[in-house]
Amino acid sequence: MSQPILSIKNLVKTYPNGVQALKGVSFDVKRGEFLVVIGLSGSGKSTLLRCVNRLHDPTSGQIVFEGKDIAQVQGEEVRSLRKHIGMIFQHFNLIPRHSVLSNVLMGRLGAMGSFQSIFGFFSDEDKAKALKYLKLVGIADKAKIRADQLSGGQQQRVAIARALAQGPSILLADEPVASLDPATCHTVMDYLKKVNTELGITVVCNLHFLSLVRQYATRVIALKGGEIVFEGKPSDITEEWFQKIYGQGSKEVHIN
Amino acid sequence: MKSYVFRRTFFDSFIFAYFAMILLVVAAQPTPEQMLNLGQNFLMFVIAMVIGAALSAGLNKSKNSSAHTLGESLFEPAYKKAEKAERFWYKTFAGWQLVIFLGVTFIVGLKSTKFSVTELLNEDGFAGALRLFKGLFNPNFEILPKAVLNIIETVFMAFMATTLAIPVAFVLSFFCAKNIMKSPKAYAVYMLLRTLLNFTRAIEALIWAIIFSVWVGIGPFAGMLALLIHSIASLTKQYSEMVETVSEGPIEGIQSTGATKFQTVWFAIVPQVILPYISFTVYRWDINVRMATIIGLVGGGGIGTMLIQYQGQAMWPEVGCIILVIAIVVWGMDQASAVIRESLK
Repeated sequence: MSQPILSIKNLVKTYPNGVQALKGVSFDVKRGEFLVVIGLSGSGKSTLLRCVNRLHDPTSGQIVFEGKDIAQVQGEEVRSLRKHIGMIFQHFNLIPRHSVLSNVLMGRLGAMGSFQSIFGFFSDEDKAKALKYLKLVGIADKAKIRADQLSGGQQQRVAIARALAQGPSILLADEPVASLDPATCHTVMDYLKKVNTELGITVVCNLHFLSLVRQYATRVIALKGGEIVFEGKPSDITEEWFQKIYGQGSKEVHIN
Repeated sequence: MKSYVFRRTFFDSFIFAYFAMILLVVAAQPTPEQMLNLGQNFLMFVIAMVIGAALSAGLNKSKNSSAHTLGESLFEPAYKKAEKAERFWYKTFAGWQLVIFLGVTFIVGLKSTKFSVTELLNEDGFAGALRLFKGLFNPNFEILPKAVLNIIETVFMAFMATTLAIPVAFVLSFFCAKNIMKSPKAYAVYMLLRTLLNFTRAIEALIWAIIFSVWVGIGPFAGMLALLIHSIASLTKQYSEMVETVSEGPIEGIQSTGATKFQTVWFAIVPQVILPYISFTVYRWDINVRMATIIGLVGGGGIGTMLIQYQGQAMWPEVGCIILVIAIVVWGMDQASAVIRESLK
């Protein structure tokens, strides 16, 4: 078996206000899998993803990405790390006033010089690449429209295209469908699945809904209070486990 | 909690000391020499404040909330306010404290501005004012061409000051925004710049004009420099406040692509602040035209300098013409800037 793309060992994150969001989390992410992280709000899911691409600085522990511990790297090394890690967010985090195409081109910033990029000198090659990914997520026809004119689901697809434009080997998705309606939810998840299977990009995704987990995940990790309480196949999450992860008396909500 | 008690005590003791000093002046009728003895008077004020602080603490300890002071009712936290019953103001100590404070201040105000109805209705004085008004309302349009040239100079003074201030304030604003100057080193730069700009803004443009009129000589260049300094300080403050209110989402979004700090500011923050920036800038130009007129009075060139020359010679019809020109231009700028800012929303 090949070496895991991402290997997290004993990761601890304590915020300056004393909150311990992660209390020694360890797990591996295999190349090409669709790993879903579940857990209550505040269980540390978002913190975990943000430690991987170093939007947050971990307190201690190791994050081995492509064979290199990146838990404490600084400056230029952080930026070159981020180039290989795409990320999408619950609130899409696009630049509202810019066009869809220009938002996707933002994915190329890491590969460009500062001065080259501020004057908008994106190469034809980059533009072609951006359009290709917009086609992949099915909104190439909206390329010239301002990002804030799009619906939530469309914006999230633009965000996926932006992440793909980086040419990442792994894609982090922080509750990508939490602010979308059930129908759009599936569209976005389907595109994530497509990215995973067709482009072979490893996906690590935080989710709330177990029905989505069963449908899309190849493996599941559950966090509770900053610790891993479950690791296994989606089909292994029984009623008993569900109660354990989400607390006694929780009811599963189905989304179709 | 602690800071609320401090604010309450300071407020109450200040008001008490204020009353005490006024009472002392009325009762003891001090000589002018005694009034000028700043050290001794300051000491008395401080002593009165200490007594006031003790009184405030005593009154606010009382269970009966109608005995609580004005400081308490001003600064107490909302949850304490919610516990209290509604009372008519005249049944509370704080209510009377406020009324007496306002009454005493008004009377002292009348005294210290030497308010005098007899002066206002003095016939000779009134006749003088009438002559002045007659002149103002019969403007001498012979100097109109010169006034127009001068007001153009004033408008350009304001324009140049604003234009030159934009790039400087634009760059400085990011260094003065708390949300992007987080690391210890960056925070030190932030604090240093903030202090420097607060200090600069505390000095009125009028004072800067006096400084520059000595430095580069009387004229529009001095006025422009004064406005420039003031505009940089003000615009930087307004710009940086906008930077502090941007949403974090796009910043995270751009950062996650591996962008540099510079690219993050340019692509995630600038698009969010550019419209308010333009709006503030247009407004600043409008303010600068008004300020440029005033600055001219102390040697900053333009229409203000022209105005002070004719006013010094009591040539009221000429002054009337100048005032008319100023009023029209200021009104026009005001309207134009309002329309532009509205369309930017």
